[in-house]
Amino acid sequence: MEIDSCTLKAVSSSPSEKIHLRPMTLSDIDDFMVWATDINVTRFCTWEPCTSREAGIAYINSFVLPHPWLRAICLDDDRAIGSISVTPVDSIRGEIGYVIGSKYWGKGIATEAVRLVAAEIFKEKPEMERLEALVDVDNIGSQKVLEKVGFVREGVMRKFMCLKGNVRDMVMFSFLPSDSLL
Amino acid sequence: METDLSRVTLRPFSLTDAHDFLRWASDVRVTGNLRWQTFTSEEEALVFIRDVCLPHPWRRSICIDDRSIGFISVFPETGDDRFKAHIGYGLSHEYWGKGIATRAVSIAVPQVFNDLPHVLRLQAFVQTQNKASQRVLEKVGFQREGLLRKYSYVKGEIHDVFVYSLLSSDLLPLP
Repeated sequence: MEIDSCTLKAVSSSPSEKIHLRPMTLSDIDDFMVWATDINVTRFCTWEPCTSREAGIAYINSFVLPHPWLRAICLDDDRAIGSISVTPVDSIRGEIGYVIGSKYWGKGIATEAVRLVAAEIFKEKPEMERLEALVDVDNIGSQKVLEKVGFVREGVMRKFMCLKGNVRDMVMFSFLPSDSLL
Repeated sequence: METDLSRVTLRPFSLTDAHDFLRWASDVRVTGNLRWQTFTSEEEALVFIRDVCLPHPWRRSICIDDRSIGFISVFPETGDDRFKAHIGYGLSHEYWGKGIATRAVSIAVPQVFNDLPHVLRLQAFVQTQNKASQRVLEKVGFQREGLLRKYSYVKGEIHDVFVYSLLSSDLLPLP
């Protein structure tokens, strides 16, 4: 069975490098291609690795730029190393998703990015009552990220999501405005 | 008084059910937990049966002696999610507590998996205080997967719900 590299490394409680979030733009295309072409990164994503710069540009134009809430995850040099988004599910629920370049796994970066979003999103979207995340049962690294931030693991939803043609069991997590960040 | 559960049957709705439909669909004890409106006239019931129940992917009237006393609906999702379907049901208040809903759902489940072969997962979201409905699902063999906090927004109120599922693979193969 394939081992996810981020499950082998200890994730630090605070990231070794400081990150910030900002909107993504087309000028992030080359940095985007680094993680979007990486099969380790896209393993639990619904999308296949990006095959060309043109396809990457099309994806940024059609999905990233119009997205209601999507941010690039950046290090000090403001280069994007991944992205994080909150997608409305209905009028009160939003779903968080994130993707980080594999070179940056195991440093607490995803944890910090999720923490930043959980701390701020309810102020930006006061109508949101629930931030949720669905994680593949085999994606242990991502489950650990959410647990470290303080998301509540609510249960395993069996045969809940179709991932690249396979129906997968998914772990449901949630974070409410009344919950405490860890 | 024991109800003979063999009198409980399922069948599609017909326009002639409007009067019986109104009897239970006008009762807020039945409709309160549902996304359904509470019906107030036979005209409304007739229109709803014609425009919603008849074209529905899978909706049945729960009947006793062929008279409608409730409903079961199964609604598959769309696109990539069409392997999942939501099950919901409602029963006339005078027939609560007799095992009728449990019987009706038990009859429905194998029919649904047969009629909708692409459906792998039946799921139900039940408000935490609705213990009777939780018992129905548990008796039929649904598995409670967890408590989803502030998940359901119905009629202006936000509720915590238990999520239950029954997979086509959960059903024992026929001998």
